[in-house]
Amino acid sequence: MAVAWIGNRETLVERAAAHAAALLGSSRCPVFSLDTDIHGTRAAIALAERVGAAYDHAADGAALSRETALFTDKGAMTVAPGETRRRADVVVIVGELPQIHHEFVGELAETVPDLSAKNQREIFLVGSKGASAPPLNNGRTATLLSCGEASLGATLAAMRAQCRGRRTSQPVSNFDDFAKALEAAHFPVFLFSGGATEGLALEMLQGLIADLNRKSRASGLHLPANENGWGSALASTWMTGFPLRTGFARGFPEFDPWRYDVARMIAAGEADLHLRISSSIVQPQKKKNRMALIVLAKTQEPIAGAAVTIAIGEAGVDHEAVVYSSRTGSLRSVDVRAASELPSAATVIRLVASHVSAEAALSC
Amino acid sequence: MLTKISGGDIIDPVNGRLGKGDLWIRDDKIVAAPAGGAADRTIDAAGCIVMAGAIDIHSHIGGGNVNTARLLLPEQHAAHQARPATTPLSNAGWSTFQTGCLYAKMGFTTVVEPAMSPGAALHTHLELADIPIIDKATLAILGNDDFLLSMIRDDAPSKMIEDYVAWTVASTRALGVKVINAGAAAAFKENVRTFSLDEVVPSYGVSSRKIVKTLQAAVDSLGVPHPLHVHCNNLGSPGSADTAAATIAAAEGLPLHLAHLQFYGYGTEGKRRFSSAAARLAELVNATPEVTIDIGQVMFGQTVTVSSDVMRQFSARGSAHPKKSVIHDGDGNGGGIVPYSYGKDFYGTMQWAIGLELFLLIDDPWRVFFTTDHPNGAPFTVYPALFELLMSREARAETIAELPKSAMALSTLASIDREYTFEEIAIMTRAAPAKLLGLTDRGHLGVGVTADIAVYRRDENIAKMLGQAAYVFKDGDLVVQDGEITHYRWGKALRLNPSPDKAMVRRLDDYHQQRYGLSLDWFNFPDSAIAREQPFGEVACRM
Ligand SMILES: [Zn+2]
Repeated sequence: MAVAWIGNRETLVERAAAHAAALLGSSRCPVFSLDTDIHGTRAAIALAERVGAAYDHAADGAALSRETALFTDKGAMTVAPGETRRRADVVVIVGELPQIHHEFVGELAETVPDLSAKNQREIFLVGSKGASAPPLNNGRTATLLSCGEASLGATLAAMRAQCRGRRTSQPVSNFDDFAKALEAAHFPVFLFSGGATEGLALEMLQGLIADLNRKSRASGLHLPANENGWGSALASTWMTGFPLRTGFARGFPEFDPWRYDVARMIAAGEADLHLRISSSIVQPQKKKNRMALIVLAKTQEPIAGAAVTIAIGEAGVDHEAVVYSSRTGSLRSVDVRAASELPSAATVIRLVASHVSAEAALSC
Repeated sequence: MLTKISGGDIIDPVNGRLGKGDLWIRDDKIVAAPAGGAADRTIDAAGCIVMAGAIDIHSHIGGGNVNTARLLLPEQHAAHQARPATTPLSNAGWSTFQTGCLYAKMGFTTVVEPAMSPGAALHTHLELADIPIIDKATLAILGNDDFLLSMIRDDAPSKMIEDYVAWTVASTRALGVKVINAGAAAAFKENVRTFSLDEVVPSYGVSSRKIVKTLQAAVDSLGVPHPLHVHCNNLGSPGSADTAAATIAAAEGLPLHLAHLQFYGYGTEGKRRFSSAAARLAELVNATPEVTIDIGQVMFGQTVTVSSDVMRQFSARGSAHPKKSVIHDGDGNGGGIVPYSYGKDFYGTMQWAIGLELFLLIDDPWRVFFTTDHPNGAPFTVYPALFELLMSREARAETIAELPKSAMALSTLASIDREYTFEEIAIMTRAAPAKLLGLTDRGHLGVGVTADIAVYRRDENIAKMLGQAAYVFKDGDLVVQDGEITHYRWGKALRLNPSPDKAMVRRLDDYHQQRYGLSLDWFNFPDSAIAREQPFGEVACRM
C-alpha cells in the first residue's frame, strides 16, 4: 500500500519526509494547522520552533481562540464534568453546543445529581428565539431563556441584570422559572463553548457566575469547541507558555491570536507553506494560491495540489494515543481500535524534523 | 566512563566527608577511588565546593493548575531572545523545557511536584516528561474526594482505606500523598466559606482533623516513605498560627510534614492585627521531632499563586494582581489561580520576615526544608538570593534597612545572628530531602549512589556562586558547565508501585460506572502513554 507521495508520484516515506523538510527549510513563512493528538502536537511544536513556523488548530481555530481569550483576558470559574454530573441541580446550556457534547448533555438529562440534597436536575437553554437544545432524553425539554432576537451576549446581560433585580428593556423569557430554580439550587452549572458564542458572551456569563457566587455556589463547565484542539492548546501551553496561535518567526515563541491566526495568514497570502496535520481522513482542498502544501492525513492517495502527502494513522484507532477528553475534563489514554501499519503523526513529524538542517532559517 | 572531580572541597555531611578531596564517578554512579585508576575525564574542582545534587521537595512545576496559570498570564512570561542552538524551547518563559534547564543550572537534580490531582495524573506526568535533565516526582492529592470521605463517614475498616490510598498512589504513579485543606474543597461546594481543623464537611459529618489523621495513619501503615504532606486549614489568615499549632499537635507521634509553614506564621498582634508567630511555631517544631516542615518563603515581586486550596483561592480573588483569576471546582480538590505581587509594604515585609525567622529559629536542618512553594511565595529562580539571606546576616540587614520599621518591629528577624553553613545547606537541600522522600540512591556522595553532583566555584557573592553551578552531573552525565546547559537528557518521574488490591479495583470500577457513568479505563493509562523510553523510576516502600 502506498503511504507517501511527492506530488502525485508514489515514493518512500523517508524521501517524502526529506522533501517536506527541504520545503520547510526554504520556506519564508511556514504555517501549521493541527488536528491531532497530544504527541502529534508535541512533535509539531518542536518542528515549528526549528523552522520558525506559526501554528493553529485546523478547523476550529477561531472558536478555540475565543475560549483561550476567556482565560488570558479575564479568567473564569469552572467546574469538572464529573462534578457537574454529580452535583448540578440546575444545568443551563449557553447557546448551541458542538455536536460532540450532545451525548453528555443527554446524560445529564437522564441522571440526577447524587451529591446534591436535591434529587433532581432542571435544565435551561439560553439562546435566541427558536434556539434548539441538544435532544434530551426522557422526553425532557429545556426551558428557553431568551430575549427575542437578541444576541447571546445581550441575553446573558439581561439575565445578569434581572438576577440583580434590575429592569431590562426586554425581559428574558421564562425568567421567573429560572429565578425560582436558582433560589432553590445548591450548585447550578452553565455549560459553555467557544463554538457559537461570541467572546463577550463568555465574559458576560462569567460575570453572572461571579454574581451568583457572592451568596451561593455556581460554576461553568467548559466544553471545548474541539477536543483535539483543546488538547493541542494545553500541550502548547506547557511547551511554550502559550496556547495555539503562537509563532516562532523570531526564534522564540510569541503568542498573538490575530497575527498567528493561520487561516488569516493563508487567506492574506502571508504564508508560503502550509503543513496540514489531520488525525482523520482529509478532503482534497482547492488550491487558491502558490502556497506550497504538505499534508499528513489518513489517506490512500495523494491529496490534490499537495507538494507532499504522507499517510498517517488515526490517533486512538490505528495506534494508541493521548487525547483531551471533555468527558473527564483532562487528558486520556486511548488504546488501539484497529491496529495498522500506518505511522502516527508524531512519528512522521519527527522524521521530517530529523531532515531539517540545524541551521534552518528562522524567518517569516 | 570514569570521571574524577579533582581537588574540590567536598561537603557530604551524611558520610562525614568535609574538606579537600577527589570524587570519582563510573558511568552513572559514585565509586571509590580506583586503585591506580586513570580517569577518562578529569574535572578540576580546585576552588570549588562539591555537593550532591539538590532536591526540591515542594515546587509546583507541572499539571493542570500550573498550566492554567500559564494560560491565564501570557503577559508574564514572554520570551525575548532566540533559542540557544542546542536546547529546544528553553527560552520559552515558564515552559516545562525552561523549568528543567533553570533548575539544573542551580545544581538541582530532583524536584517534587507536590499537588497532583489524581484525575489529572496523565496530564501531570506528560508535563513532567517534558521537563528535561532533572528527575521529578509527584504527590497525589486526597482528602476532598467523595470516595474517601464516604469511607470515613461509613467507618470503613482501615485496611479498605489503605487499599484505596495504595491504588491511588500506584495508578497515578505518585511518590507520596498530600492533603490540602482537608475537607474544605468539598465543603466549599456546599457553600461553606471558611473551614478549620475541627469543623465538619456537610453531608459527610467528617471533620478536617479526622481526614488528616486517617490519611496519616494509612500512609504510615502502607510504608510510604514520605510522611503525609499536609497543607493546613486557614492558609494566609491572621491567627493561622493557631491552626498550624493544632496540626503540629495532631501529629501525635506519627510522622507528619507541614507544607509552606510561613503561610501559617501569622499572629493577630499589633494595630493591624497581623504579626509574626514564627518564634512560637519554631519552638513547637523544635519540640516535636515527628514533624517536618518546609517554609514557602516569600520574596518581593510579581508572582502567581497556584493552589488546590480552592476555598482559600476563592477568598483571595479580590487581591488578584493583575485583576484576573481562575477558580476550578474539581473532582476532588480543584484549585485556584490568583496572580499576586508581594510588595515591600507592611504585609509583604511581615511575610518575608516570618519565613526567614522560621528558617533561622528551627534548629534542626534535617527537619526544615528549603522552598518558596514555587510559584506561590516566589518563583524558584529566587533560590540563589534566598541562600544568600540564610547564609549572610549582612545580606539580611541590607534588605531590612529598606523595609518598613513598623513591620520589622513585630518580628524577631533583625535580632537573629544565625548564618547557615554550607554543611547545613547540604543537609537541608540534599541529605534531608532524600531521607524525607525515601530516595536512598541520592542526597549524598557515598559510594554506590547515583552520580547527581553539583560543583560551585567559591565566590564572595553567595547568590552568584549557588545560582550558576560550575559543573552539574545528572546520573553521571555532565549537564551544566559554567552555569550553561551543555548536555540535554530526559530524567524520570520517581514513583512508588504498591500492588493494588483486586477487590478495591472492582469496587472503584463499580463506583466510577455508577457515579460518573465511566469505566475505570477512562482514568488509567499505560506507561507507554508518556512516550519516553523510561518515564518512571521505582522507589521502594518501607517494609
Ligand atoms: Zn504548594
